[in-house]
Parts: sequence; structure tokens; C-alpha cells
Amino acid sequence: MTSTYSPTQSTPDGRRFGRSDRYDTLAARNLRLTIDDKIAVRIRRANRDDGQIFYQDFQVPYQKWMRVLDALNWIAENEAPDLAYRWFCGSKMCGTCAVRMNGREILACWEAVEPEMTIEPLRNLPVIRDLVVDRIHYENKVAKLEPWIERTERYEHFPEPLTHKQMKEASKALDCISCMCCYSACPVIGLGDLTNFAGPAPLVQLGQTALDPRNSPMKVKRALALTGIFNCISCYKCEEVCPASIPIVSKIIEPLKAKTAQLIPEMAKHSLALRAIIATRGRVDPSALMLRVQGLRVLSKIPRAIRLFARGKIDPIKTFLKIKTEASEAAGRILRRRTATK
Amino acid sequence: MSITHKGYKSPSMQVLTTDVVIVGGGAAGCYAALKLHKNGLKPLIVCKGLVGKSGASIFAGNLVISGHLLNNSDEQASNTAEFLIKYHNQFLIDQRWARRCGEWIEKVYYPELEEAGLYFRRDDVGQIVTSPGKIRSVAANVQGNSGVPFMDLRRKQIIKAGIPWLEETVVTALLRKTDGSVGGVFCLNYITGEFSVVHARAVIMATGYSDRLHARSTGTREMSADGIALAWRVGATLVNMEMQWWHTNDIAHPPSWQRMQVYPNPMLGSEKSARMVNSAGEEFFNQQQDDPLAFGPYTVQLKALAKQVHAGKARYDGGYFAGFDHCDPAEVDNYTTYGKTFRQLGLRFPQQLVETAVTSHYRQGGIDVDTTTMRSSVPGLYVAGGVGGHSNGLIGLATYDGNIVADSIARDFPDLTCGAMLQQDIEVESRRLTQLRQSSSGGMTPVEMKEKIRALMWEKVGVEKDATSLRSALDDIERIRLELLPNMHISNQDKSANYEWLDAIDIVNMMDACELIIHSSLERKESRGPFFRQDFPLTDNDKWLVANVLKKSGNGMRFEQRAYDLPFFKPGFATKDNFEVTW
Repeated sequence: MTSTYSPTQSTPDGRRFGRSDRYDTLAARNLRLTIDDKIAVRIRRANRDDGQIFYQDFQVPYQKWMRVLDALNWIAENEAPDLAYRWFCGSKMCGTCAVRMNGREILACWEAVEPEMTIEPLRNLPVIRDLVVDRIHYENKVAKLEPWIERTERYEHFPEPLTHKQMKEASKALDCISCMCCYSACPVIGLGDLTNFAGPAPLVQLGQTALDPRNSPMKVKRALALTGIFNCISCYKCEEVCPASIPIVSKIIEPLKAKTAQLIPEMAKHSLALRAIIATRGRVDPSALMLRVQGLRVLSKIPRAIRLFARGKIDPIKTFLKIKTEASEAAGRILRRRTATK
Repeated sequence: MSITHKGYKSPSMQVLTTDVVIVGGGAAGCYAALKLHKNGLKPLIVCKGLVGKSGASIFAGNLVISGHLLNNSDEQASNTAEFLIKYHNQFLIDQRWARRCGEWIEKVYYPELEEAGLYFRRDDVGQIVTSPGKIRSVAANVQGNSGVPFMDLRRKQIIKAGIPWLEETVVTALLRKTDGSVGGVFCLNYITGEFSVVHARAVIMATGYSDRLHARSTGTREMSADGIALAWRVGATLVNMEMQWWHTNDIAHPPSWQRMQVYPNPMLGSEKSARMVNSAGEEFFNQQQDDPLAFGPYTVQLKALAKQVHAGKARYDGGYFAGFDHCDPAEVDNYTTYGKTFRQLGLRFPQQLVETAVTSHYRQGGIDVDTTTMRSSVPGLYVAGGVGGHSNGLIGLATYDGNIVADSIARDFPDLTCGAMLQQDIEVESRRLTQLRQSSSGGMTPVEMKEKIRALMWEKVGVEKDATSLRSALDDIERIRLELLPNMHISNQDKSANYEWLDAIDIVNMMDACELIIHSSLERKESRGPFFRQDFPLTDNDKWLVANVLKKSGNGMRFEQRAYDLPFFKPGFATKDNFEVTW
């Protein structure tokens, strides 16, 4: 019944957002149109009851400082009263009006309109109707992570001892309004069931308590075990679209990865092996990585290794004999220094 | 889903049974659910939006500290109570309830929130950051955004407790048992288009105080005075429905930002607060200088603005400005979100001010309750939070109600029966909703009608009103009800995510609530706080320091007056021009 909106259905005019040099500052984006200019709006309509999908065009008169949500409201009041779109607060707090505008995830209440804009629902979530997506998959994922704190010590009194320094990362995560812009933009989530990656938004939700020093490490460990966090490829798409400007990769996912490596090292086997190889060799050696991660299982891949060797793709001499190089000393020094300062 | 319950069969109706139904998923509803759960009862939340993500609670910018918390002095503790009673409620409040509330906030509320994990913003050495001054507040993570982590925590506490909810589900009628008491709700999940009937021994109305009845309103999209209209239909007594609060500096453009406030309250970690400037560039309000005791200075601001409007230097819908051009940017950015709006519009911050306008905010009045039990006048129907007529809003007060109502129901529970429901009511409601969805008479669309109602409320029942404008508004509503509503047109009659259908349901509630507000406004023949009657400009404590009680009688209504006890604070004058009254 529900149509899942996959990335391949993107329109040909995708990703124009903020491309023009003239429009890339917030000031410029708010000044490019004048009152009553006509905005060309194209909306992807999807109807659950009969399964129809089509694009519909509208001409919307510009109002002062108009947001995308104002354009949708104008269309519903004047042209398409049956347009389905979700919003509650209109002030970047409820996080329910996220859509894609010209190929990029935005909050409709927050983003200035573009002279021409195509509005589509978020990706990676089933579309219920028009711009309304089903949030339940995301909500279930978050609930499974049990994002609340479990104290190891009894709470004594208000206010408890705690500093902002200790809460700095969790505090960033607390700005999350679960709008799911990042969830829609994440290419790993776009792979569907190929990975068990929880996705950026659920990780930010988890970060709120997992990066909170008051939480029990055992509780954090249990939750992290469910995240598939090392599937994150640190592409920063999530950070790019976050309307709350949360440094999702650098301040949430990276610290969570570090916590996972510390609490559940087997989940981080690949990353830890890579790090160790770089520390000793000063370069990435795919063969060494295979050996470390796969152990004895690598024996079953000997025929493949021979083929790769024949084509010059791997170099066993380098892997087994040329471990120490000039670069290795520098890399070791840098990585050891980083570990020491942490 | 097909469930048979007590002889009623319907292929598309879900029938559920629980101990207590809570209508609303904001601060009051969530806390009531948690406390009921703790008391060993089974609550179920029906939320028109998303639990903890819709409704006014997410807008809580500040959390006021009461009593002697965080080294509040005796004077600060007393100031907080005075502020609540005088500036926040214009003495139309049970002062003993206010005191109980303050004590609970001090002893239970803050420690409980922190124990559950709410992060009260600290500085780097671990001191909780407060706003200085006569009344102090703190913030959850960031000032201006406190309601978001606060309500997100509530959402997660509800999940953790395993309390069930129906989200994006609108309660369209309260169902009565054969003895006349309220024993359940009829609802529509507007995402799936399915009806549900929930049987319960008690219903808690917790739909909040911030309905979108005016062209500019602070409530969230789904707030259409459902709680008032539903309670009135089953015969609940209402009170002080005319006492409408206003935000005075919300962003004037774009329309979707009508509730985005340039917060006038004291800033955390700074001696300054936003200033307001008229069209001639003259400053006319600055909370920290003009009225430090008016922590939430909305009434004082509104009076200051009215004088500017009368002098032709501002309009209620714009033409004046607010901002932080007297502040250092770091001073604002350290602990608040206040700069975000300016920057998002491309304004230079803090040098530039932004055009602001008035927005209809909280309604102080609502369903009449006994504040010790939170019972309404109808057996089985309880109330929590802003939809009650006992106080104006603060997130702590709404939460306190959740606490009281849960304990009260636990006490009453043995006497609350799970009796048979009037089947006829269920069938009538089901037919009414289906007919609304099939409206196809070629007339106005539901959203056009909603905007029409809001426009007339803004124009005729706005900041300043008199008997003529109020009567004219009643005529307009009657015309909408008799001429436009029967010809309403819904273009798409699908069941799923049909917001036109939802709007059509809302309109009926909005019209009922508006009429009740207008009649109550006509009844109160004085001006008080934010309630400006041009034909009665005096604040009249001799005759009108009373609850304006509205009772249903037959098919009509009648008004009664009930005096307030004034055990702690008194106004100290008999009558005075409202614009000369400081509160």
C-alpha cells in the first residue's frame, strides 16, 4: 500500500539548493525575491488510497521573508486543499515539517523559499501521502536503543554535581528535534537492510544519554551494541543538512565510535586494526588489514589472493617484510600523541 | 482491525479498554500518565499531535525557580509567588493552590526532572546558570529551547514505562455512560482514517491553553480548542474564558513564524533583556528596566504597546521592532537561542532589530475545576494543565496538575465504575464524522473557513474590543455555522492523512469555543490585565475580582460569579484605569 520513496526517483533538477554564488548567504537568500514575485513550486504528490504518484506545479506569490511552509500553506489555502504535509509548531521546535527542497533536506518552517523549488518527501521512510512520511520505523529504532539514563549511583539532591564541560557533547545532541533530515540524507541508511546501521538521528538521540557522564557504562554498552555504528562512513551528509546545526559526525558519532571501541572492541575490530596498521606502517595495507580482521579465515581466500597478486594488486613482500618505514615512525608518533591527550 | 466490545460491531473501529484516558500529550498529560502508572493504574494517552512534540509545552523557554531553590532569597521566593498571582493571573487564581504548587515545584519537580536526566544548563565549573534579578529562571540545556529537551524526556519516560498512546489521533467526542458520567472517548486516527472507541473509568482533559483561534496564535497546528468544546458539550462548567493572554513581540513576517518570540524575559547570565522600539525609533519597553518584577512581562508589554498604538507609533499586527542591539552578541549567544531567528532572516545580529507583532497566546480561563481533586463539574471528567480555568500557564504548573489529577483518580478509583456506554452516541459520532468527510456541496474548503474564523476573531475579539465588536463577531460566527458550514466542500474524500477532514472536524470545535469566549467577554464588564474592553476601561476589583463562571443550562448558558479568596496578595485598590494598573 505505502510507496517507499527511493533515492533513484529524484527529479532531474535536483540539488540546486544554494548553488548560485549570489544566493549562498542567508542575507542573500532572504533578499532575492520581492513581494508578489511568483515562485514556481513543484510538489510530488502521492496518494495512498489509489497509489497514484505525480508532480503538480503551482505559482505562489512571494510574501515577506517567506518560508517553505508558508508556500505550502498558501497552496493548501488557495490551490490544493487536499495537500498533505505535516507540521505543528512553525518555529523549528517540533521537527515534523522536514521535506526535501530541490534535492536537499530542509525544515519547511525554517528555510527561505527559492524562486523555483521542487518539494518532495524525505527519503528512506515510507510515504503515507504527499509529503507525509511514516515516522514509526525511526521511532521504533530510537525506542530500541532505550535512550534514557540508568544511574550507577543514587541521585542525591538538586542540583547534582555536574559541569558543562562534562556535558559538552551530550549538550550538542540535546539540540536534536528528531526532524529526520539527516536520516533522509544518510547514504548508508539509503542502502536499506544491507547494513544494520541505526542511522544518524537515532545515534544523536542515543548520544544525548550515552555521552552523559551520569549514565551507566553497562547501559551505554547495551545500546551501542545495537547501533552498527561502524557502518557510518563519516561522509558528513548528516551534518550538512542538520537544521539544528549539530556537529553530528564530529561531536556525536565519532565520540560514540570511540566509546564503542572502548566498551565493545570486537565491534570496532576493523577500525582498530586499521589504526594499528597505520600506526606501525604509516600507510594502509589491505593485505595486513585482511589478515588482522579475518584471522585464519583468510586461508580460504588464497586462490583470490593469488589472482590479486598476479594482477599486482597486493604485495606480500611489502606486507610481511617492509613494515618499518620513515612514514611509520611519524604516524606512530602522531597516533600515540593523540591517544595520550585523550 | 475488528474487535467486538459490549455488543457493538464495526469493521473499521478499534475498541480499547483502559483505566484512564488522557487527552493530550503535553506536560500535564504526560506527567499524569507517568504518575497514574506509578500509582498502579493503566493510562492511555490520546494525542492529536505527537506526544512531547506538539502542543504548547515545547515552547517553554525558561523554567522559573520557586521557593528557596538554588539559594533564592526570601524576597525572591515571595516575588515569584507575587508574579504568578498578580502579573500572570491578575488575581484570578486560587492563591492557596499557587502556594501548594510552588512548594511542590521546589521539593519534587526539579529533583525529579534532574534525576530522570534533564540537563539544567551549567557553567564550566558546575554552577547552574540563572537569570539574575528579582525572579530567577534556569534553562534545560539552552534558554529559549528548554521545552524541547524537557518534553523529549517526557516522551522517553512514557516509552520507558510502556504506557500506550494513540498519536496523530483526535478525540472527537467524550462518551457517556448510561448514568451520564464520562466513561470514554471517540477518536479518529487521521493518518490511517480509523475510528477508535476507548472505554475508561475516567477521562483527563489535558489539551492545553494555546488554541489557534486568532489570525495570529501561538498554539501548534492541531490546537483548535477541542478540550473546551468537548467538555462543554457534555455539560462541564467553564470559567474566565475571556481572559486571553497575548505575546507582544513575536515575529511579524513570515506568517509561519507568528509564534516565534523575541523573548522579553531576563536572559541567563546577563543583566539585560530584549528591548522594544516603536516606528519612530523610540524605545518603549525593556523588561529589566521597566518592570523587573514582571518576569514574564506580557501584560505590561501589551499595555505599553497599546499606548504606542493609540499614539499611531505601532500596530497590533506590526510596525514596531524588538531585539538585542544594546547587547554584546556573546551575552545573548552564551546561553540562549535568541539570535537564531535574526540570523536566519539574514539580519545582522545583534545590530538589527526585527519587526514584531502581537500574537494570541495562553487563555487563562478554561474548564472549571476543584483544584484539590482536578475534578470538573461532570462526573468522570478530570482536567490537568492549561485547559483548566484555574491558572495561567507555566510548564511547572501544568505538571503539578498532572500530579494532583493522578493522585485524585487513584483515590476515586474504587468508586469509578466501568459501566456500559450509550451505544447510540457511538453510532451518531461515527456517522457525523463520515458525513463531514463526504461534504461536497461546492462551498468553502475547511481551511478557508478556519482562516475566516481566525480573521474575525483577530479583528473583532482581538486585543481591544467592545460590546459592538463582540456582538458583530457572534453574528459572523452564526453566519458561518448556518450558511457556510452546510455548504463546506472537501475535495478529496480519502481516509488516510486527510487534513481537510481534520480541519472540518476542528471548525465545529473552534466555532463553539469562540462563541463561549465572546459571550464570556461580553459578560466581564471591566478591563483587567490583558483583557481590554474599550467600553469598560476600568479595572474594577469591587465587582469583578471574581471568577466569571459559565454554566450550561438546557440548550443555552448562564453566568455566575464566584469570589476569590485573597489570603496572601491583594490588589490594594478598588477601581483604576486598566492602563494605569502596573499588572
